[in-house]
Amino acid sequence: MIKFLLKGILRDKTRSLLPIVVVSIGVMLTIALSAYMKGAFGDMIDQNARFDTGHVKVMTRAYLENKNQMPNDLALLGVDSLAQSLRQDFPDYQWVQRIRFGGLIDVPDENGESKGQGPASGMAIDLLNESSGEAKRLNIETSLVSGALPTQSGEAIIGHDFAEKLGLKVGDEITYFGSTMNGSMTFQNFKISGTIRFGAAVMDRGAVVVDITDAQQMLDMQDGAGEILGFSKLNVYDDEQAGRMAEKFNAKYAGDSDEFAPVMLPLKQQNNLGEWLDYADMMSGIFVFIFILAMSIVLWNTGLLGGLRRYQEFGIRLALGEPKGRIYRNLILEAVLIGAIGSVVGTILGMAISYYVQVVGIDISGFLKNSTMLMPSVLRAKVTPELFYIGFIPGVLAMVFGNMLSGIGIYKRETARLFKELEV
Amino acid sequence: MTSETIISIENVFKRYPVGDGEFTALKDINLQFKRSEFAGLVGPSGSGKTTLLNIIGSLDSPTEGRAMVLGKNISELSHRESAWLRNKHIGFIFQVYNLLPVYTVFENVEFALLLQNIPADERKKAVMKALEWVGLADMAGKKPDKLSGGEGQRVAIARAMVKKPEIVIADEPSANLDAANTHAILKTMKKLNEELGTTFLFSTHDEKVMGYLERIVHLRDGYVEQDEIISPKSMTT
Ligand SMILES: Nc1ncnc2c1ncn2[C@@H]1O[C@H](COP(=O)(O)OP(=O)(O)O)[C@@H](O)[C@H]1O
Ligand SMILES: [Mg+2]
Repeated sequence: MIKFLLKGILRDKTRSLLPIVVVSIGVMLTIALSAYMKGAFGDMIDQNARFDTGHVKVMTRAYLENKNQMPNDLALLGVDSLAQSLRQDFPDYQWVQRIRFGGLIDVPDENGESKGQGPASGMAIDLLNESSGEAKRLNIETSLVSGALPTQSGEAIIGHDFAEKLGLKVGDEITYFGSTMNGSMTFQNFKISGTIRFGAAVMDRGAVVVDITDAQQMLDMQDGAGEILGFSKLNVYDDEQAGRMAEKFNAKYAGDSDEFAPVMLPLKQQNNLGEWLDYADMMSGIFVFIFILAMSIVLWNTGLLGGLRRYQEFGIRLALGEPKGRIYRNLILEAVLIGAIGSVVGTILGMAISYYVQVVGIDISGFLKNSTMLMPSVLRAKVTPELFYIGFIPGVLAMVFGNMLSGIGIYKRETARLFKELEV
Repeated sequence: MTSETIISIENVFKRYPVGDGEFTALKDINLQFKRSEFAGLVGPSGSGKTTLLNIIGSLDSPTEGRAMVLGKNISELSHRESAWLRNKHIGFIFQVYNLLPVYTVFENVEFALLLQNIPADERKKAVMKALEWVGLADMAGKKPDKLSGGEGQRVAIARAMVKKPEIVIADEPSANLDAANTHAILKTMKKLNEELGTTFLFSTHDEKVMGYLERIVHLRDGYVEQDEIISPKSMTT
């Protein structure tokens, strides 16, 4: 019987083509959008983790409160021993110290006169010690546009666009002006070892990257750091695990009312990322729901039209002794077959598009010129195994649902009345 | 040998609701048909022929009275049971040949057997045999739109006959056929009637068809005007 139905579907193009096209398009869009959302939000989370939040981050309570002002006067002190104890308590994570700092970059000419200036947003990381993994984590090597990584104290990498604006190239000297942890003025000369483009608008605006030891000296914060970041050695963010760690760590300081006591935050509780993730899940859910609904309505209508066209056929089948319940069931079976064909086509197309967007990406840097959110400049889709069913199942369901609705007329009517209507 | 009665219509009325009132399409019909009769309902358009045939074919049921077909009371059958009766025991031939356009001649004839879950090789044998009966074995692979009107109606006969039903109901089978084709299909049906003992029940107002009938039941305005035995075969053999 399935063979009989399949023959009908394949030969009667007017019966099958439109539904197959509708299902294919719906499934394709569902998959492409899901992959795109997954990819975009996944990249966003990943980039936030690497550049800003870590999988968990330790700061002082006061620093946390004023985080956006890069308040190094509220930084952690005694970080080496704190980091040591973190390594002991949580050996599955790698712990690194970072300092963020603001200030001014000045470019001196031969006579020491200023020939250009710009506001800088600095990041100090453990650059010179390769075991920290920081250079790799921030993709510094692959993001270099010119020059190389600093190999010694006193060298800095600066954002490529920033360098161009100030007319700087590798080997030039720059002077940093800023204030120390205690609020007094400080300046320090750096030699540019390389220029870089991170591919994140927020980072690329006025970026200066120096080694953390240099920064500690320059900002007068020996054994201090704004943040200690923890990264899972498995390199994936596990929200539950991060939450448990934070709970355990924070419990130690629960009775401490000191505003400089350290506090640990998992990624999801920083930068509203948790809300973003929930939002992404919700949006995906809404997309899928809307597609099923829209597809069902379209398919219901094509089912009705197809049903009208096939009244004569149903009449013949009724007269030949096919019970109308079975006609109805075969109609649904046909819908399953058509839905499956459309879903296969749609899944293949959707996967192809997703894969293309995963490999090539969509450049959104234009939209991010003034963005303060840490987002990748090139959005990429992510092809995951769930894409195989995320479109397929709704595709088949929509087709079946649409045809169930349109077929109900046949099922409900009296055989005699139906046959009269079907008669030509 | 006396043939058994396989269709018995007893005091049957059929009323249709029309507007506020009712329209009575069949009025107190009493008829018996025996196995292997070759009989026809004859009467002008609107006299109730199709209504009566649909009741005998278990597509409809009487408003009043009893219609017994092959020992079953049509009024008491469930959907499933009446479908089963049609599938196993009753073949239909319509005014327009009503073949499924996307299927080949072979597949159209095969369909009834598909519903009975008959194995493929048996189906094939039966279908080819039925096509031989109507002289269309070489058309098995053709689509209905490639057939002439006469050929199409012969396929419809093969489709009705393939399951070797006890009763074939043919509602104005010659309405769309020319004289030559009308004679051809009636000869075919007469032959099957004689060889297989199938009961044929026609409705018609075609003189050519009437020439083949052994019994003519004249209907007028929903009642039996005259029940005319033309050749005695249907009564005794
Ligand atoms: N569903 C129905 N509702 C109302 N009247 C009907 C219905 N079906 C048939 N009739 C009427 O019953 C009468 C007999 O119809 P029918 O059996 O089709 O006649 P015939 O086949 O002899 O031309 C006609 O007058 C027709 O209008
Ligand atoms: Mg009629």
